[in-house]
Amino acid sequence: MKQQAPEIRCKGLGVSEGIVIGQVLRMVDGASQVSRWSVNENDLENERQRFRQAALIASERLRTLRDQAGGRLGKDHAYILDAHVLLLEDEKLLGDIAEYITAERVNAEWAIKVIGDRLTTLYSEIKDDYLRERGSDIEDVMQRLLTALSGARPEDLRLAEDAVIVSRDLLPSALAELDLEHAQALATDSGGWTSHTAILARGIGLPAVVGLRDFYRRTKTGDRIIVDSNRSEVILHPSTQTLAEYQKQTGQTSARRKAVPVAERGAFCTQDGVEIRLRANVELPAEFDTVEKYGACGIGLYRSEFLLARNGLTVSEEEQRIAYEAVARLAGEAGAIIRLFDLGGENTRSHFREPEKNPALGLRAIRFGLRNDSVMRRQLRAILLAGATGKLKIVLPMVTDVSEVRRVKAMIAEEIDKLKNDGQPYGDVPIGAMIEVPAAVMMAEKIAACVDFFELGTNDLVQYTLAVDRGNDEVADWFRTLHPAVLEGISRSLNAAQHAGIPAIVCGEMASTPAYAVLLIGLGATDLSMTPSAMPRVRRTLAAIDSASARSIVEECLACESADEVEYLVHSRLGSCWPQLFPASSLPKPRPSQ
Amino acid sequence: MIERKLLVKARLGLHARAAAKLVRLTATFRSKIILRRLEGGPNADAKSILSVLMLAATAGTELEASVDGVDEQAAMLAIEKLFAESFGEREVEA
Repeated sequence: MKQQAPEIRCKGLGVSEGIVIGQVLRMVDGASQVSRWSVNENDLENERQRFRQAALIASERLRTLRDQAGGRLGKDHAYILDAHVLLLEDEKLLGDIAEYITAERVNAEWAIKVIGDRLTTLYSEIKDDYLRERGSDIEDVMQRLLTALSGARPEDLRLAEDAVIVSRDLLPSALAELDLEHAQALATDSGGWTSHTAILARGIGLPAVVGLRDFYRRTKTGDRIIVDSNRSEVILHPSTQTLAEYQKQTGQTSARRKAVPVAERGAFCTQDGVEIRLRANVELPAEFDTVEKYGACGIGLYRSEFLLARNGLTVSEEEQRIAYEAVARLAGEAGAIIRLFDLGGENTRSHFREPEKNPALGLRAIRFGLRNDSVMRRQLRAILLAGATGKLKIVLPMVTDVSEVRRVKAMIAEEIDKLKNDGQPYGDVPIGAMIEVPAAVMMAEKIAACVDFFELGTNDLVQYTLAVDRGNDEVADWFRTLHPAVLEGISRSLNAAQHAGIPAIVCGEMASTPAYAVLLIGLGATDLSMTPSAMPRVRRTLAAIDSASARSIVEECLACESADEVEYLVHSRLGSCWPQLFPASSLPKPRPSQ
Repeated sequence: MIERKLLVKARLGLHARAAAKLVRLTATFRSKIILRRLEGGPNADAKSILSVLMLAATAGTELEASVDGVDEQAAMLAIEKLFAESFGEREVEA
């Protein structure tokens, strides 16, 4: 009879709502501390035997896991595990490790670590994002060998349909690769509200808690776990009592997750008759059916970078055209806005020969496109061609003034001429500017005069306005979405668009939080783009408020002197205006001042 | 011994899952099966998943396969089929 492990509660940040009771499925085991010791000549044979024995045990265990996974998690997961089984039985790999033990007269653990590191280093030099990240497979296998050597027995190695993915940092491509039908929730050590993985999790409606720091190492695959994103918490080995409490709650949550809001689609009005549109932010093909499911008014932001995740910058015009046509089809009459490759920071690491010292301020987004003429032109042509089959718009990321817009417009005109000469059909594609850096806000009136629409990227606008890295935990206290400077920037941009008579779409994560969405309406926004799964909440909220009250709250906010003051104000005013929508617990709590 | 050119068509390249399928297949033959990149580079034993992974064959990579042994005809045929079918990968809808 095994002993019941004590309940462990761990606080993180709930980035995608929902509660899930499930079993841990660890992904990408990390390197653990391994020590080195010398082995006597006489004991070398024993050491090699010990290693071979461990390899047998590890592969035996993994085979069992794989066979169970085949049925429960779907074939694709099973094949990943099969690759690991094959590695554990690979004579080249095992031979290299055994030889190292002999040659260096060291313990098996150290040999595994050295050979493993060598291989992962080789992997890290591969010039392909997708394959390079697969170096994690090697790490995973090495970790299994070490576990087997240590004599630890992973208990209850079962993979079930209630798999909760637990990892240190799940790379976007790894998330993309998952069979999302079977993953129920996500818990990671790193990441924040706006990390790529969090955005994707929200996109596919996968409950997620991130920023759990050192949670991963405490878990084993098969452990019972509760992910409570609403409380920003995960509970490992929940007690019988905790489990019972949660089982009561989740009866409701899972029903909610399956409910399809059929009646809720298209534009709708606030109580005082302001028409609101909710559009979809999408990236992965896996998210596509959520656009229809949640009744989005077309696609407000298509993050085209996913096309590069697999093939890098060489992605062909043809492949892109096919992808954009699919996006246009999906968006229908309301159309889709394609953001040109927004490369830089977390989604690029690899495209630069050397890492930049300050990537957030580096050669990224539109700058990268202007520098890499052929990449940009290929993308523009593909969009123009796809534009012949549906309604597409282009938005330029990280614009700072009109010169960037003009340069891209000139390129588009040239590409149109070429298409005309070749007799190829193309579509009329409006051009918009992403307003996401302070310079663009300050130049908003001038930029508005030379584009067809604005799109406000609030994630980056907060980061650049406040000069706070959103991925850096140390300065998380300074990342204040409700900073008066941010609200001022949004206000100015929306006004500039209004005066120029062009539409403005607010597309950052801010729009997907009901309380913030109310403020955006107060600031004059009527067109929001967000992760589709957030739409029902935002729609319910905005349909129940009146824009006049929202405006008066915002006016008070704009007069505030600090983020603390705004947060306090929002907390009390939303609660008193619409208590049924904003019970005290649902609002972002004001933080104590620093 | 037979030699043939192979093209990696799978969009994600010859990654872990595809490599696993290949190794599971080659293991059923007695012939010695070697893969190498057409532009040069070390030989990879197609029965060792580690070797196959280290080819780092991305989509569009051209490989050369040499198969030598009693069942070389059947082995080559099966390998060509697997490559032609992109390792049975579900095409991700774009």
